[in-house]
Amino acid sequence: MLLSVLFAFLATMAFGVLFNTPKKDLLPGGVAGALGWAVFIYMRDIWGYNSQVSNFAATVALALLCEVFARMFKEPVTLFSIPAIIPLVPGLPMYQGMKLLMMHAYNVGMDKLVQAALDAAFISLGILLVSSLARLFKNSQQKIKGLKVRV
Amino acid sequence: MKTTCANVMQMTSEQVLDIAVLAGKILLCSGAETYRVEDTITRMCAVRGMNSVTVFCTPSVIIVSDEFANGCTLMYRATRRGTDLGLISEINNLSFNWYQWPYSYESTMRLLKEKLERPTRPPWLVALASGVGAAAFAVMLGGNTYDFCAALAAGFMAMLVLRKLAVFRPSSFWETTLAGIILSLVAVAAVQINHECNLENVIVGAIMPFLPGVALTNGLRDYMAGDLMSGNARVSEAVLLVGGLAVGMAAILSVWYM
Repeated sequence: MLLSVLFAFLATMAFGVLFNTPKKDLLPGGVAGALGWAVFIYMRDIWGYNSQVSNFAATVALALLCEVFARMFKEPVTLFSIPAIIPLVPGLPMYQGMKLLMMHAYNVGMDKLVQAALDAAFISLGILLVSSLARLFKNSQQKIKGLKVRV
Repeated sequence: MKTTCANVMQMTSEQVLDIAVLAGKILLCSGAETYRVEDTITRMCAVRGMNSVTVFCTPSVIIVSDEFANGCTLMYRATRRGTDLGLISEINNLSFNWYQWPYSYESTMRLLKEKLERPTRPPWLVALASGVGAAAFAVMLGGNTYDFCAALAAGFMAMLVLRKLAVFRPSSFWETTLAGIILSLVAVAAVQINHECNLENVIVGAIMPFLPGVALTNGLRDYMAGDLMSGNARVSEAVLLVGGLAVGMAAILSVWYM
């Protein structure tokens, strides 16, 4: 379990290099990715929630952390959140579903693909929630300071 | 309010517009979200006192115009987009410091053009990052040391070939299809050589660098910002690329399982 969290950290950093993230932002991105994976794996394997709910919680946790990092390091959020979201992408059910469809096991295959689609949808929901909350927060801050808010 | 330093005020409004559009161009080509491109251009123009500038941006075009009848219109057509978070961060810094920008028009344009045309990183570095990411992912799914090595090789090879072919500008669909073909070939070969390798772990690890996570994330952020057209474009791009990857893998695996 701890090993897989460690490798999630490594994977996120590697994807950061792939997307040419500046060097000083690699480490916080890795921390966010490891946090997301840790929340996901704990909720799914230890507390026994289904993978959709775990994905949602993990995405919310890591996206919140990314928003904090973005304000700390004065960088765009996507710099941290794009690599950090990668470990959660449902590659396994997608591959299994494709393989089963290929072997004419349509029932089980569609089951897996719908699983993957739902996982992706719940990850999206997590991003959507946090990014709109962040917008709300930013706009309210600007309103307090008396600046113009983009409508 | 912050006071604007003399340098930006000395530029003519056309020059500020030039710089702002170039900055937006770099942002769009580096894979920034739509609202960031629009926001950066509007904000840079507002510093010069041009408050009626309107920007419309989709993943393939930027149109900047004035709301007045005698205003000028600039349009930029983006044909090739990549992901470069480093450039996004640099332009973000520029737009934050724009109100106290110390350089003249000429040197700013030169600086931005250098950024736009700066050489891409060596293919082996990108391929190595992709390989390490793939390998780490194979272990996260419960793979052993052999899976780690096989996924490293698969991710490395597929990305290396893609980068070498990038000069010919293939369409992105066939690009990912080719990636799917190469990585499943390497994975199948690894399983043949060493029977302790698990094909599933290797392949799922190796496809990770090619899944369109950036397009999907940005597309959803576009939806939330109200840019529905860009959101649709990006999400359908993501679906198309996943389809391409699946076609490539299915081509090899169906032969393998026959």
